[in-house]
Amino acid sequence: MQPKKTMVWDLPTRLFHWLMVLAFALAWATHDDSRHLDIHTISGYTFFGLILFRLIWGVVGSHYARFSEFSYAPSEVLLYLRSLLGSGVKHYIGHNPAGAWAVFILLTLGLLLAVTGVVVLGGEEQQGLLAGYISFDQSAPFSMLHEVIAWGMVALIFVHVSGVVIESLLHRENLIGAMFRGTKWVAGQSAQVPTHRLVASVMMVSIIAWGAMSLNGYVNATAEKPYQPFKGPSLAMNELWNEECGACHLAFHPSLLPTRSWQQLFKQQEDHFQEDLMLDEETMAELMAYATDNAAEHKQTEAAWKINRSIKKNERPLTITSVEYWKEKHSNVADAVWKQEAVKSEANCGACHFDAEQGAFQDSAMKIPQQ
Amino acid sequence: MKKNVLMMMAMAGMLVINVQAYAGDVELLQSEYQSQGAGPFSAAAGEKMWRQQYLDKKSGKQRSCQTCHGSDLTTSGKHARTGKVIDPLARSVNSERLTKVKFMKKWFKRNCKWTIGRECSAQEKGDFLAYLKGL
Repeated sequence: MQPKKTMVWDLPTRLFHWLMVLAFALAWATHDDSRHLDIHTISGYTFFGLILFRLIWGVVGSHYARFSEFSYAPSEVLLYLRSLLGSGVKHYIGHNPAGAWAVFILLTLGLLLAVTGVVVLGGEEQQGLLAGYISFDQSAPFSMLHEVIAWGMVALIFVHVSGVVIESLLHRENLIGAMFRGTKWVAGQSAQVPTHRLVASVMMVSIIAWGAMSLNGYVNATAEKPYQPFKGPSLAMNELWNEECGACHLAFHPSLLPTRSWQQLFKQQEDHFQEDLMLDEETMAELMAYATDNAAEHKQTEAAWKINRSIKKNERPLTITSVEYWKEKHSNVADAVWKQEAVKSEANCGACHFDAEQGAFQDSAMKIPQQ
Repeated sequence: MKKNVLMMMAMAGMLVINVQAYAGDVELLQSEYQSQGAGPFSAAAGEKMWRQQYLDKKSGKQRSCQTCHGSDLTTSGKHARTGKVIDPLARSVNSERLTKVKFMKKWFKRNCKWTIGRECSAQEKGDFLAYLKGL
């Protein structure tokens, strides 16, 4: 029988495949730089949505997209892999047993990746679906897990792509092209696969709308009022603190140092970085109470949590810039940036962090000024 | 009609009280210094001290009021160490200046100590006020 150009992968399956590639690549590229956390999160949620869609589509989708069509026993995978070494490899119209397992594992890892991502976002950033339900400490192991799973996925993607290339060569069949066009040359009987344009359109429209909705803040942003993709819970403010501390420098929020540091700073107020503060007792008492109630160990923000975590129990740093976490976090900032007129001092947090006065220090509320 | 007149009188009265309070804080502080034996106060002496340079032994650098407040008090100054902007001191451009006794006392204390290396005398502070209130 003459091979016939036949639809194998319906449009939603193909869209799912390539959008997932795109979403994963975007999330991977933005995972290391906190300034792009918004892109990471948007692509992460998109990825999550795509996986959920695929789980449904694996039940109600067209013939070759259904899980039941490519559920093979492990023994069949072994048989298939062994046959790759010899001749007479069996040709599958849909997924071959090895490919099918790669798909199932990728979907499982993808689902775990998305779920751990939401947990970390809720814990470390107090953002997203689980904001407020998870503490920083609770989310810490998930952060690790999230990373391990992502690496696992990268490894599996490598296996998957290698498999596709090998099979394409073995069968002289362009499988990558098939995932774009949806068609293969099939000899003999095959199932009828509709394109499912409507489902595909709904997918595209929802993803574009969701992306536009998530990013529309950038449209109205100005240099003076940059868009802040995330706003954390607002921290307690104290007028006296802002007036007293803010007269000479940024009124560093108490959450940026532990109580013992603030105690020491007030104790030696007559030598406060070469100035004598001469605060009266009443003022001191109010400032100290505010500092104690909001100090780093209360872990009100990610910065507070990480600062507190990086200070040894027997240490009592008097400057935020001497804290290990601060140093590590700013180690990539070029010397030229610090020397700019708009920055000048390491204590001038507000030059780059535009939520410095609120003490929030959200990852994405940050922009290095350009001269 | 009668009500309106009363109202206007009350408002005018409040205005007078306000202006008096505004003008009064500097004088109040000056008379406090007088009660400590200082006076009469001279704007010229205040200005001279304001512009004078003092050597800080620790850093080896010259300091004056202008180090942070700048040479023109109708424009903003800048904190010498942190670079934080300091609003203009001249009342002609910043009406909030010299309006709170507590505030003035605090900054005299803190800034005299940093600039000159000691607290200022009642006479010196009175002279400063005489100079600053005319700006």
